[in-house]
Amino acid sequence: MIMPSIQSICHWLQHLEWAQAFRESSLLFPFVEGSHILALSISVGLVFVLDLRLLRLAFRGERVSAIMKQSARFSLFGFAVMFATGIVLFAAQAEKAYNNRFFLAKMVFLAGAGINAAWYQKKYFPNMEDWDTAARTPVGARVCAIVSLICWAAVIGCGRTMAYEF
Amino acid sequence: MSLRELVAAFYAWCYHSPALSILRDTKLGVPAVQTVHLIGITIVLGTAVTMNLRYLNLGYRDLDARSFLSSLWTWFRRGLLLTVVAGFVVFLPDPARYVENTSFRVKMAVLTVAILYQFTVFRRATRSIPTSGRTPKMIAIAAITLMLWFGVGWCGRAIAFIG
Repeated sequence: MIMPSIQSICHWLQHLEWAQAFRESSLLFPFVEGSHILALSISVGLVFVLDLRLLRLAFRGERVSAIMKQSARFSLFGFAVMFATGIVLFAAQAEKAYNNRFFLAKMVFLAGAGINAAWYQKKYFPNMEDWDTAARTPVGARVCAIVSLICWAAVIGCGRTMAYEF
Repeated sequence: MSLRELVAAFYAWCYHSPALSILRDTKLGVPAVQTVHLIGITIVLGTAVTMNLRYLNLGYRDLDARSFLSSLWTWFRRGLLLTVVAGFVVFLPDPARYVENTSFRVKMAVLTVAILYQFTVFRRATRSIPTSGRTPKMIAIAAITLMLWFGVGWCGRAIAFIG
């Protein structure tokens, strides 16, 4: 059996009837694209609030766990909208996106942000009460906050720049 | 020279300025500045949403409202400054293109109202927050604030689609 290449799957996706209609829609496409960007701004903005606390650049007197619990809770809504709209936007331009180096870089940084968040959850979340109100955040947790800020800034940058290469 | 001619001359000067021409004509110049603009918007929207969640006692309730909101205000102002400065740098290389765009004009109008509302009505409202619950007035203030900021975002995106 011959396995179809990713390129051919992307070609098939992009040429589906609904994908073409969606791409050419003068209202729906901008609406979904705008929702994607604003949902990203909400969720990343809430993650930014947590990163500020981890780096002790703000909310120094507050417990990290209290900010984390709330930021994670509310950012989930934004991430859900961001992923749902992102998948639809990708399907509509799958072949173009697959051949776009900034899209591929965006996916790498997105994966990086996800792995970084998972690492934080595994390594620092379970013993958070040990340093919840401490004057110093563990170095590793601060590194996670810096990696998070870099990855999300790169996701935004690559997402913006990929449109210029379409 | 009338004001209109003066503005037109300024736009022409911007367009032909060597430094701004380099920014406009370099492949990655404008997207790089737009990235900084978007990072600023992310900070503005993230802090605005967080402020409103706390204001309405919907989230971050374990945190002291006064000190939490005070820190958020600081980062909100920084984000807004970054957004506006980067926005100017995106605007200046080709100002005539932007001022002729209806979405851009609406964005500027909504942005002006959003800034005024945030720094007057919203600021005053967040000075005293009840320990629990929310009044219809508080809900209205938060809804207007968020609608204005998200309106700015929507209009910004519409610049590329609705001229």
